[in-house]
Amino acid sequence: MPRLVIDDLQIEVPEGTKVIEAAERLGIMIPRFCYHKALGSAGACRMCAVKFIHGPFKGLQMSCMIDAQDGMVVSTTDEEAVAFRRQVIEWLMMNHPHDCPVCDEGGQCLLQDETVSGGHGLRRYPGRKRTYHDQYLGEFIAHEMNRCIHCYRCSRFYQDFAGYRDLGPMQIANRVYFGRFRDGPLESPFAGNLVDICPTGVYTDRSSRYKARRWDLQRVPFLCIHCSLGCSTVASARYREVVRIEARFNESVNGHFICDRGRFAYPYANLADRPRRARVDGEDASLAEAVRAASGRLDQISMNAGPDAVALVASDRCSLETLAVLKRISREKGWRHPAVFPRPDLEHKTRRAVSRLDRRLAVSMRELESADFILAVGIDPVHEAPMLALALRQAFREDAGIVVMDPRPVSAPFDFDHVAIAPAEIGGCLSRITEALSALQADSAAQGKETRRPEAAGPLRADLDSRIAGIVERLRGSRNPVIVCGTDIVRDSTPDRAADLARLLLQLKARPCLFFVLPGPNSFGAVLLAESPGRSFSDVVQDIEQGKVKALLVVESDPFKNFPDRERLERALDRLDLLAAMDYLPTSVVGRAHIVLPTCTVFECGGSFINQEGRVQRVEPVHEGGIPVHQVSGGGHPPRVFSHEVPGGEIEAAWRTALEVAGYTNARDNLSILKIMAEEHPGFARCRDIPTSRSFRVLPDAGDRPPVCEETGDRAAPEAADTLEVVLVDRFFGTEELSGYSPVIQNADSEPLVFLHVRDAEPLGIAHSDWISIALEGGGLEVRAGVSAQMAEGVLVIPRHRLLEWQKLGPVPAQIPFGRISRAGKE
Amino acid sequence: MAKEESSIAKTAAEMVKGLAGSYAVTLKHLFRKPITEQYPEYKKPLPARSRGRIILTVDPDGDERCVACYLCSAVCPTSCISMESRERDDGRRHAAWFRINFARCIYCGLCEEACPTLAIQLTPDFEFCKDDILKFVYEKEDLLVNHGGRNQEYNFYRHAGLSEKGEKGTHINEKPPVDVKSNMP
Ligand code: SF4
Ligand code: SF4
Ligand code: SF4
Ligand code: SF4
Ligand code: FES
Repeated sequence: MPRLVIDDLQIEVPEGTKVIEAAERLGIMIPRFCYHKALGSAGACRMCAVKFIHGPFKGLQMSCMIDAQDGMVVSTTDEEAVAFRRQVIEWLMMNHPHDCPVCDEGGQCLLQDETVSGGHGLRRYPGRKRTYHDQYLGEFIAHEMNRCIHCYRCSRFYQDFAGYRDLGPMQIANRVYFGRFRDGPLESPFAGNLVDICPTGVYTDRSSRYKARRWDLQRVPFLCIHCSLGCSTVASARYREVVRIEARFNESVNGHFICDRGRFAYPYANLADRPRRARVDGEDASLAEAVRAASGRLDQISMNAGPDAVALVASDRCSLETLAVLKRISREKGWRHPAVFPRPDLEHKTRRAVSRLDRRLAVSMRELESADFILAVGIDPVHEAPMLALALRQAFREDAGIVVMDPRPVSAPFDFDHVAIAPAEIGGCLSRITEALSALQADSAAQGKETRRPEAAGPLRADLDSRIAGIVERLRGSRNPVIVCGTDIVRDSTPDRAADLARLLLQLKARPCLFFVLPGPNSFGAVLLAESPGRSFSDVVQDIEQGKVKALLVVESDPFKNFPDRERLERALDRLDLLAAMDYLPTSVVGRAHIVLPTCTVFECGGSFINQEGRVQRVEPVHEGGIPVHQVSGGGHPPRVFSHEVPGGEIEAAWRTALEVAGYTNARDNLSILKIMAEEHPGFARCRDIPTSRSFRVLPDAGDRPPVCEETGDRAAPEAADTLEVVLVDRFFGTEELSGYSPVIQNADSEPLVFLHVRDAEPLGIAHSDWISIALEGGGLEVRAGVSAQMAEGVLVIPRHRLLEWQKLGPVPAQIPFGRISRAGKE
Repeated sequence: MAKEESSIAKTAAEMVKGLAGSYAVTLKHLFRKPITEQYPEYKKPLPARSRGRIILTVDPDGDERCVACYLCSAVCPTSCISMESRERDDGRRHAAWFRINFARCIYCGLCEEACPTLAIQLTPDFEFCKDDILKFVYEKEDLLVNHGGRNQEYNFYRHAGLSEKGEKGTHINEKPPVDVKSNMP
C-alpha cells in the first residue's frame, strides 16, 4: 500500500489508486473534467495538473494519470500548478458560447464551477468561436455541441462502459465532434446517463427542459421502483411537480448509473388526469366522505355475506408500509388476504426464489461485476432488469464468460452464448448441469443427492448435450461463477433448480453466486408478508365468479393491465356489489370503481421497498403533495389568493387511507407504521433503528440447513407439433406499469413486435416486420411480427405491451395452433 | 437713574434692530426664487441610476429579454422574485410567469446586476403606494414594458450561439459550423 503526502497530509491508499483519487480521500477535490470514477482516466482535459515535489515523478503532472506511489510528495496549491490550471480553464472556455442563462446545466455545471474557481472571468482571445451543428438524439436528450470541452466522458461511457456504438467522437484536433453519424434517437437504453456524466451542458434532459435550476429544487435521495433491482436515484421536485430524476451512486446496487426507464418514468406522478378527488358512485366527494362510504359498505358486506366476501388486491408497486397495513387489516377484519400477484405461478416462483436466498448465496449487482462466469437463465436482461445488463457488461469487459439460456431473441451490450431453448427445457438443463457438476466432484456427491429433484418435464434435445457439457466445464474452471435466474417466463421449479446449482457452486467455490430477478419492485416484500401459499388475483376472479367474493378493495393495482382475459375480468367485476379502488394512476379500475380513494405516489409519501436481493430501501417524500402549481394555474401565474390549503393536498399515503377504511383512526402516524411493519414481519423491526438513508438486507443467515424443497410438477412443453407456446414477456418500455403512463416514454417507445422463429415463420409465409393476425380467444390481434433465428423454436413471444391487446389471450398458459396465425393484409 | 434709562433705551434699540433684521431677511426671501419643489404638482427628474420600481424590458426585436434563468431570484436578498421557466412553443426559454413582490423588495438592485440579458432593470419610479398590500405583487404583465430601458441595443441571443435565434455560426464572433464529414481543415 503506497503511502504519499498531498498538501502536507499523509495518506495510504491501495495499489493502483490514482493521485487524484487519493487526494479526494483526503477531502481535497482536484479540479477535473475527464476523470470519472466509473470511467477511469483519459488525460484529455489537463485540468487536474498538480506539482510533484518529491518521489518518482517530478514537476507538473496530471494527477489522474499517475498511480499513487510510495514517497510521493504532491502539492495541489503550488503556484505553477494553479497558474497552469487557470490557463487550462481559459482555453477550455475559448469557444464557449456564453449561453449559461438558457442552459439547463447551469447551477450544476462542473465547467461553471471550475471556471469560477480557476479565476477566469473575461475572454481575452479576440478570435472567432468554433461552432457545431446540433443533432436530434431522440426524445430524452437535447444536444448543444457548442458547449463541449472535449473530455471524452460521453464516448467513454457510451461505447466502453455501456457497449453501444452509435454515439462517439468524430473529426480531429480542434474540431472533434461528439454525436451520431446522422440524427436519430440514441440506441442505448442507458443514454440518459450522458446527462449526468457530461460535465457541461452538451447533453441535457429534455423531459425537464427549462424547468428549474438545481438550487431551487427539492432534492431527496430516492429509489427507482420500475423494476426489481431498486436502483438509487435523486428525485427533484419544484412547485409540487417532480421535474427530474438523476442517478445516485450506490456501492452495492447500481453503481453510478441508472437506465432510461428509471430516469424518464417519473412524469406519471405529474399527470393532469391523475385521480385527485375522491369519488363515490361517480360523484366527487371529500376524502373523509369517501372513506366513510367505503368503510360502511365494506362492513355491511362483511356483515351480510361474511368477512370472507371482502377481498383485497394489491400489487408489487405497493410500498412495504401499504402491504403490511393491508395484511394487518385483512387479518383483523377477517377479509381475504391481499392478492398481490396476478398469476399463481408468479407468486409461486417469487416465493421459492425468496425462500432460497440467504446471506451466503445472494450476490449484489456490484459483486456480480467481478464474476468470471455467468449463467443467466430465463432472463432477458435489458428488458427485465436493465441495469443488470450493464453489470453483466462490466463483467464481460473483465473477460467473464456469459451464457444466456432463454427462448427470446435476447440482445445485450456484451457478447454471450445464447442457448435458445423453450421455457420448459430450462429447468431440465439446469438440473443436468447440477448433476454433471456434482458427479464430477466426488466429495460433494452427497449434496447432489440431497437436492435431487424430479426429472425435468420432457426429454432434452440431443444437441443440448454438448452445450451443457461446455457450461459444466466453464463452471468448473471458473473462480467466481454466478447464476442469474429470472422468475417471469420460467417454469415453476426453475428458481429452485437454479438455487440448487448455486448451492453446489457455493460449496465448490465458497463464494456467493445467486442472483434472482423478480417480477416487480416490491415482489420480495410481498412474499415476505404473504400467507403461504399465497393467493393470486386469478383465484380472486374465480371466487367472484362463484359468488364467494362480493366486494373488492383494489389498492394501487390494475388487474386490467395484468390479467390475460379482459372480457372475463370485466364480467367478474360487474358482478361485484362493491368495487373500491385506491390508486394514484388513472387506471381502468379507477375508471370503473364505485368508490375511488386517491392516494399519493411514492414521491409524495415515501415508502419502503425490498429489491430482488432482499435489500430493504426506504425513502422520504420529495414534496408534500398537491396538484402541481402549473396545473392549478393553467400555465399562467399562480392564483393570487392565499390559503393554508394546498389544492389536492388532502390525499394521503395508501396505508393511511387503508387504515382509515378499516376504522383505525389513531394509528396513522409514522411511528405506528414502523410498529405495524415490525409486527407483521420481524425482519422489518430494524427499520426502527436504522436511519432511512441506510439500507439493510432481510435475508436469513444460511446455516447449512438443507433447503426445503417443494416438489412442484412443471407444466410440460406442448406436445402437439403444430402449436406455438405463448411466452408473455416484458419489454424495456411499454410493459412496466408506471413508466407506461409517462408521456416522455410513450413518445420514445417503438412499436411492439411479436417474435417467432424463422423456421416457424417460414411455413406461414411470414417475414420480419410483416403484419400478422393472430386469432386469440378474445378476438383477433393484429401486430407486426419479428422473425428471428436467434430464439427458441416453438414459442410465440408476445410482449405485455400497453399498445397491444394481449389481454385477448384468454386463459394462460396458452398455446396457439399455427392455423390461427396468418399474414394480415394490413401494411 | 440715568443709567437705568440708558439701558432701557439700549434694550429697545436692540429689539428694534432684531425685529428689523428678521423682517429684512423675510423681506429679502420674499423676493428670492423659491427652492421648494411643489411635489406632487412638480416631480423632480431623478438620476437615471436611482433605484425604484422594477421593469422587464424587451430586446430590439421586441421580444421579451428575460430568459427565466433564475439568477435574479437566486440573488435577491429578500426572495421577492419568483417565476417558472418553461420552453415556449418556438423552443425559446421564457418565464411562464414572473412575479415580484414589491412589498418585500428593498430596491437593492442586485437583481439587475445579476441579469445576464439586461431584462430586469430598476427605474427611478419610487412612488407607487397601494391601499392593499396584495397589489404590490406585480405579475409579468405588470412588469413588462415595450422598450429596452437603459440599453436599447443589447440582444442576448445575438451573442449566445443558440439556434433559437439564427443559425449556428451566424452569431456575433462565430466561425461557420464544423463540417464533421469533411477532411478539409
Ligand atoms: S459532450 Fe460532454 S462529455 Fe462529451 S466530450 Fe463534450 S463535454 Fe465531454
Ligand atoms: S434497472 Fe430497474 S431499478 Fe434500475 S433504474 Fe432501471 S428500472 Fe429502475
Ligand atoms: S432590488 Fe433587490 S430586493 Fe428588490 S427584487 Fe431586486 S434583488 Fe430583490
Ligand atoms: S436574471 Fe434576467 S433573464 Fe434571468 S430570470 Fe431574472 S430577469 Fe430573467
Ligand atoms: S482529469 Fe486529469 S486530465 Fe482530465
